[in-house]
Amino acid sequence: MKRLFRTSTGLLLLISSLTGHAALQVVTTTQDLAAITAAVGGEWVQVQSLTPGTRDPHFAAAKPSMIRKVFRADLLLVIGADMEVGWLSPLLQSARNARVQPGNPGYLDLSSVVPLLGKVSGPVSRAMGDVHARGNPHYWLDPRNGVRMAQAITTRLAELDPAHQGEYQQRFKAFAQAMDNKLPAWHARLEHLKGKPVIAYHRSFIYLADVFGFHIVDEVEPKPGIAPSAASLSTLINRIKQDDIGLLVMEPYYERRSARYLNEQTGINVAVLPQSVGAQPDINSYFDLFDAIVAALNSAGGK
Amino acid sequence: MDYSHFRIKRIATIVVVLLLAPGVTIAGEETEAMRRQLTEIKLQMQRMQQTYERQINALEQRLVGLEAKSEHPVAVAAFPASRAASATTGSDIQIGLSGLFAAGGSSVDNDALEGLQAGAHDPNQNGFTVQNVELSLGGTVGPYFDAQAHIIFQIDADGETVVELEEAFFTTRSLPWGLQVKGGQYFTEFGRQNTQHPHAWAFVDQPLVLSRFFGGDGLRSQGVRASWLMPTEWYSEFYFGVQNPKGETVTSFLNGPGEEIGGHTLIDRDARNFGDLLYTARWFSGFDLSDTLSMNLGVSGLWGPNASGTTTDTNIVGADLYLKWQPVYSQRGFPFVSWHSELLKRRYEAGDPGDLGRETLKDWGLFTQTLWGFKPGWVAGLRAEYASADGNTSTDPLRDTRKRLSPNLTWYPSEYSKLRLQYNRDWTEHLPGKTADSLWLQLEFNLGSHAAHVF
Repeated sequence: MKRLFRTSTGLLLLISSLTGHAALQVVTTTQDLAAITAAVGGEWVQVQSLTPGTRDPHFAAAKPSMIRKVFRADLLLVIGADMEVGWLSPLLQSARNARVQPGNPGYLDLSSVVPLLGKVSGPVSRAMGDVHARGNPHYWLDPRNGVRMAQAITTRLAELDPAHQGEYQQRFKAFAQAMDNKLPAWHARLEHLKGKPVIAYHRSFIYLADVFGFHIVDEVEPKPGIAPSAASLSTLINRIKQDDIGLLVMEPYYERRSARYLNEQTGINVAVLPQSVGAQPDINSYFDLFDAIVAALNSAGGK
Repeated sequence: MDYSHFRIKRIATIVVVLLLAPGVTIAGEETEAMRRQLTEIKLQMQRMQQTYERQINALEQRLVGLEAKSEHPVAVAAFPASRAASATTGSDIQIGLSGLFAAGGSSVDNDALEGLQAGAHDPNQNGFTVQNVELSLGGTVGPYFDAQAHIIFQIDADGETVVELEEAFFTTRSLPWGLQVKGGQYFTEFGRQNTQHPHAWAFVDQPLVLSRFFGGDGLRSQGVRASWLMPTEWYSEFYFGVQNPKGETVTSFLNGPGEEIGGHTLIDRDARNFGDLLYTARWFSGFDLSDTLSMNLGVSGLWGPNASGTTTDTNIVGADLYLKWQPVYSQRGFPFVSWHSELLKRRYEAGDPGDLGRETLKDWGLFTQTLWGFKPGWVAGLRAEYASADGNTSTDPLRDTRKRLSPNLTWYPSEYSKLRLQYNRDWTEHLPGKTADSLWLQLEFNLGSHAAHVF
């Protein structure tokens, strides 16, 4: 039944592409997904992100303008792992588009194609703050996961649009090759961070730490999603001094006062890292994102 | 309410039946065959699951192996993007319990507060009020329907527990041409505020014009509506619905025999034909004006019979505007500024043709409110309201000229709780003192599924 559905969808798409129909309409929840899709989809897809890279996608709200976009989509790509839990389900209910409902070929949750870190075993309570029991959803900050995501997206694009399967595969190979070329250079520039303790504002850089070999030993937020207090900051100051921690990493959208205060008190270097494509005007591709992150980590220094 | 225990029992029975339903078997030969088939299907499913699990495990092992071999293992085999692998749970029912409580006091006594705080979920007594304890269930019924239900528990001024079926409805998931049908018991899509549940309100009480036109519980009834996502470049949706016009949740229509409106005594009138139903329509549009500013605009209308005569009708129209600004960089959805305004007009035919004193009662009202989320978790709000009616209405708490100004401050310790302090300054004609000052502290908690972020 599913195969029949898939084949018929494919046939329909084939017919529509033969009759000169527009490109495959892809809608993504974040700009990172949009950038990867644009890289492997090329001219055969038209891709739009529902949220801008400057904002935390977890705190978006289902806006009417999003309903319109999802209604027209052939493929919906989501981060998953509870990232969009506050707005995706009402959006899908209003969008009345069977193609992109979970379980159909037009819906792809990329958290299912990467190994998630930070899974919580044992009981989870909301007293622990915003803990994602299914794993940390910031996995796109590991370039190796970027390749896994690109591959899954390529496979899905080829399923939905078999006429251009060859082109998608070609573009994916180029993407993976570019990553192979870039990654050693990024590693070399961040050699000095290997094995170093680092503090993050929010629990969102564990994948970045994993790939570049530094350790996130604490967060500015006392619990995920809970704002720091004077008491929690003073505990943190002691820890920074004691363990000789040289670097604090944070997203551009968090308040800077706490970081400035920690810097004044301990001399810790602060690196404001763009966390997504589009977080800064000059970050247009997935590769730009890591170029910018590596540059920011480099210029911040660290002991 | 005297029926509350009965209602609780009935709900409990329904819940028990629903829980047991999958285990219930029907006697007969057919069932035997069905059971065999079911067992076969189950076995097949188990086999499939085992196969998938084996495949996934094998791939995971390969992945681990590859990662160990290479320092930067790009372009390795990804996890199978198979849909079977992600379908781990059989059901996606969401369950939530929200509790909303208030404490506070006013310069006027409880009797006067009943007229001032006319919403059924408003804090309306000096001391403590259980505003709303709501059990919400929702989920996907199958490929074609979603459904949700909201059951309210309240404790009234006499200490009696009241249970109400606030909403229970289905919506279609995938009708063609941008159509969607919703049916059951639901809040009428009229304006922006009416469909919001009390825990989603930006103020501790219901706007007074809504209490006047729609009654304490807001406008909700049994019926069906279709909506059409129009093929425009911007978001634009048209709603059209039909609902029952009778009951205490449709107060401007067939409600409250024996009560009075503008000196006209209401009769016990039923809907006799299709023309006697409540017809609802709404046109709603949304635009992104820039990266930081978005706007929603809507107009709504209601047409239905009223109980002041055997042929009398009521018509209510409204317009609503919502603007929200959020800077390019925002932390946890803050800061933001929003502005929400609604204007409503009611035309109420009072008395049948030929009746002495037949007249058309014209009422109107508006509210305008602005919210400023100035730092993560903190929102300051200000609401101004005005409501009035033609004629000599100065002694009627639901029709006199009335003004209210309400500043408030809300703190969200986490996404699942809030504390709100609100001051109300009232100017009324029907109270001897003409003014009232009230201060309310509100507390909310949420358990269960993650609540949706309302735009």
